[in-house]
Amino acid sequence: MPMVLLECDKDIPEREKHIYLKVEGEDQRDFLPISNAATIPGTLSERGCAFCGAKLVIGGVLKDTIQMIHGPIGCAYDTWHTKRYPTDNGHFNMKYVWSTDMKESHIVFGGEKRLAQSINEAFDEMPEIKRMFVYTTCPTALIGDDIKAVAKQIMSERPDVDIFTCECPGFSGVSQSKGHHVLNIGWINEKVGTLEPEITSEFTMNFIGDFNIQGDTQLLNTYWEKLGIQVIAHFTGNGTYDDLRCMHRAQLNVVNCARSSGYIANELKKQYGIPRLDIDSWGFSYMAEGIRKICAFFGIEDRGEKLIAEEYAKWKPKLDWYKERLQGKKMAIWTGGPRLWHWTKSVEDDLGIEVVAMSSKFGHQEDFEKVIARGAAGTYYIDDGNELEFFEILTLVHPDVIFTGPRVGELVKKLHIPYVNGHGYHNGPYMGFEGFVNLARDTYNAVNNPLLKLAAKDIRGGSVAQIKEAAE
Amino acid sequence: MSEQQVKDLFDYVQVRYLWQFFSRTWDREENIDGIVNAANDMFHNRPISKHTPMERLFYADAKEMVKDFKENFPWIETLEPTKVSELLEGLKAMLKEHTITKSLNHELNHTLY
Amino acid sequence: MGCEITTRERAGVINPMYDCQPAGAQYAGIGMKDCIPLVHGGQGCSMFVRLLFAQHFKENFDVASTSLHEDSAVFGGHKRIQEGLVNLARRYPDVRIIQVITTCSTEVIGDDIEGNIKYAQDAIAKEFPGRELYIVPCHTPSFKSSQVGGYSECVLSTWKTIAKEKAAPTGKLNIFPGWVNPGDVQLLKHYAKEMGVEATIFMDTEDFDSPMLPDKSINTHGRTTVEDIQGSTGALASLSLARYEAASTVDFLKKTFDVPGHQVAAPYGIANTDAMLQKISEITGKPIPASLVHERGVALDALQDLAHMFFANKKVAIFGHPDLVIGLAEFCAEVELEPTLLLLGDDNTRYKKDPRVVALKNTVNHDMEIVCNADLWELEKRVKDPAKKFDLILGHSKGRYVAIDANIPMARVGFPTFDRAGLYRHPTMGYRGAMLLGEQIANAMFTHMEYTRDREWLLNTW
Repeated sequence: MPMVLLECDKDIPEREKHIYLKVEGEDQRDFLPISNAATIPGTLSERGCAFCGAKLVIGGVLKDTIQMIHGPIGCAYDTWHTKRYPTDNGHFNMKYVWSTDMKESHIVFGGEKRLAQSINEAFDEMPEIKRMFVYTTCPTALIGDDIKAVAKQIMSERPDVDIFTCECPGFSGVSQSKGHHVLNIGWINEKVGTLEPEITSEFTMNFIGDFNIQGDTQLLNTYWEKLGIQVIAHFTGNGTYDDLRCMHRAQLNVVNCARSSGYIANELKKQYGIPRLDIDSWGFSYMAEGIRKICAFFGIEDRGEKLIAEEYAKWKPKLDWYKERLQGKKMAIWTGGPRLWHWTKSVEDDLGIEVVAMSSKFGHQEDFEKVIARGAAGTYYIDDGNELEFFEILTLVHPDVIFTGPRVGELVKKLHIPYVNGHGYHNGPYMGFEGFVNLARDTYNAVNNPLLKLAAKDIRGGSVAQIKEAAE
Repeated sequence: MSEQQVKDLFDYVQVRYLWQFFSRTWDREENIDGIVNAANDMFHNRPISKHTPMERLFYADAKEMVKDFKENFPWIETLEPTKVSELLEGLKAMLKEHTITKSLNHELNHTLY
Repeated sequence: MGCEITTRERAGVINPMYDCQPAGAQYAGIGMKDCIPLVHGGQGCSMFVRLLFAQHFKENFDVASTSLHEDSAVFGGHKRIQEGLVNLARRYPDVRIIQVITTCSTEVIGDDIEGNIKYAQDAIAKEFPGRELYIVPCHTPSFKSSQVGGYSECVLSTWKTIAKEKAAPTGKLNIFPGWVNPGDVQLLKHYAKEMGVEATIFMDTEDFDSPMLPDKSINTHGRTTVEDIQGSTGALASLSLARYEAASTVDFLKKTFDVPGHQVAAPYGIANTDAMLQKISEITGKPIPASLVHERGVALDALQDLAHMFFANKKVAIFGHPDLVIGLAEFCAEVELEPTLLLLGDDNTRYKKDPRVVALKNTVNHDMEIVCNADLWELEKRVKDPAKKFDLILGHSKGRYVAIDANIPMARVGFPTFDRAGLYRHPTMGYRGAMLLGEQIANAMFTHMEYTRDREWLLNTW
């Protein structure tokens, strides 16, 4: 019974393996949705591609690096101005995108010369920039352009530049997830250990899997500074190319997004013996727990307790104000994957919100193990949910607010359900103590939006509900 | 020690900690053994070795877990030391059963990350 | 003094002005009712384009993907096309049109689109006897042309699939405005109504501006129906308002069904609108009514207050779709703004010979540069060049940082304009469009004067 075949899926019955309704007393030994599996064509899935998982999610965050996309123009255009990850150097990463603008002749005769030319031009046009990521796309992978050879040649000609290549065409894997993997593994194998950092503290770590969405990294960094911990590399929020080459020198890897970046943390453990500590950076008790663990690792517990006390004094009353008012509200989370398990318990514990349905675009079974362990019974857990499923689930769970992307947000608006941007946030940052108050505030403002009541009113007389009641 | 007590601790750990859900079988096993053993040492007031980075990691995770256990399950401090060890062995076994041996996660035994 | 036409010399692009062909094809597809385009390619090819539409219109549009994975790259994507079509047909019983939009990857793989469509059609016909479902092969490899050509290609392919026989004369006028906003569609409908002309606008995107309703119904979709498309073959005439987005289908209707075709300059600015209305009058025999003379006068009256006081001698850079950029340059000239830089994107080599470009070249009385195959780095470099001076940028939101960093006022126009609220609702075409754009430009300049303390006191008494 707990794997669910929705009415809208009767023609694609394999979807039953992807949708789980948790029942009291069950656990992940009994049921675990199939995930990271091929998408069913024509279903209006929410998934993106591997290329975007590498470029848009991870590489494109870096604040000092040219992102050269080897392919036709669309892959560059589409992964530009779709993310909110500022930097402290004027948002170089969000202002520019680079493409080799492949045309038919390059498909026929090969695009390597075109790539070399584009790389040289980009460095010439922006002489202050010395670092570059080069990505393949579907067509350049299909025709077999050797981007590594091109990069190597250029690095030999221009000794002051460094280039990383990432071969993750959109068709590889089944979602963004493949691109995360390719970039992680490529980076550890090719670039980590090629530069030595300047060590400025006896406590050093990498902070992995946080992309500075609306300043998350910068907010958390205020904590690490207060604690006297040197963050050698941020993977990749507000990060630099060269910092990421120095990851091998950290004493500890702290991982927030285990899906997009767990691979590099695993490899750093395997290859360099650096321990991996997973934390949740969203939510009060989680954040405090994460800080306590990091401080315990370094033996600086007192500093941690002091920081937590200060932050609690400052932000907890504000959080509680919202908690009182959000008690019992129902939330759906339709995002990438990890935010399901990061958020389900933290909004419950810190805000009194009940999460009633969750859908993951690119999560793996590991993510479902985590979210089913943490999530409530009576809640739907969906892998790669599609549009008709969303409509049907909404009629089953009636959320008061949905954390999802802007396009789906526009869709549910018509159903009088407010959305909060679960990817780029409404008004973040959302991480850390202050951030979670921001999340609470945005949620509160969303569910109390007066326009929703006005939308429900039929000015021809009575509310729709009343009309329906009268009819029954 | 009762089955129920093990289950209570297990349920708490399941909801709370990410270390049991690392990517591969060997990572999960390493974490479960390392952290629960360190917790056992703490309950027995034995000195914890913090020489290697991994020992320090287990110490950090175990410290939080022990604190949480004491807060949420005050009966734990009334148990005989040997009972606590048995309890934690039971916890380890239950964690391994759920997250490793009976896990439905198809990726647990891939040789590569 | 004079006009120089140059071409981007770099091979690579830094900050593209246009998206690729499949994106344009998807935009054409969503303009049709009961239509879900199916993009045959990687999932990103549709996911990000849907996001782009959502950013611009603040609405969701349905576009499906065949979700090409690695096995298809090796063995071909036949099954994915067939399954995608069958799944759409099964789960969306109202759907009547599906364009199978190819991408770079599937064109390189060389999937037999027509053959797979035939196969799927047979399967669907067996399962749903009598169901009318038009499946359109739309070849739009990303390595050719751009969103501009992709839009044109999808409209043409759809017509070729659906408009199979000559309809009985309808007495209606087909108007193909190209890639425009709902506000423009409304304006064109209004003009037709005022003139007493029965016209069909292709695509009718008026409902891209769609309401929140008490019954929670969702009406965000194009209004152009299968019947509209079939009826277009019996029309009195077709009018193309966009040489690079609409002319091909007007041409098709002429060649295949003897529907007289007319091309006018995109009706941006007063004179271009005059010419369009006069052409409609000439085709239909209906006179231009006093109400439109009135609207024209209102626009002139408003623009007159701005032109020689605020706009004269101001140097403008314009980028966006070619028909829009050229039209806006003509509009600028009418209101004494000086279009000194025009950026035309993609690899189309015909822009240089466009009669409007030739006319601009021959008549311009100030320095002007037209950059072909341009990207927004061409804009940025010129804007940052201390030897040049720009007073205004006209273009879409992808150029926002050029204006922000150079501290130059920018009026958002074209597609996409996601960093300003509600622009899609307003026309840019017609008298009203010219007036609203003129006022938007003026207000951008005024705000800039205030924030930079640049003679803001001028406005104390204006």
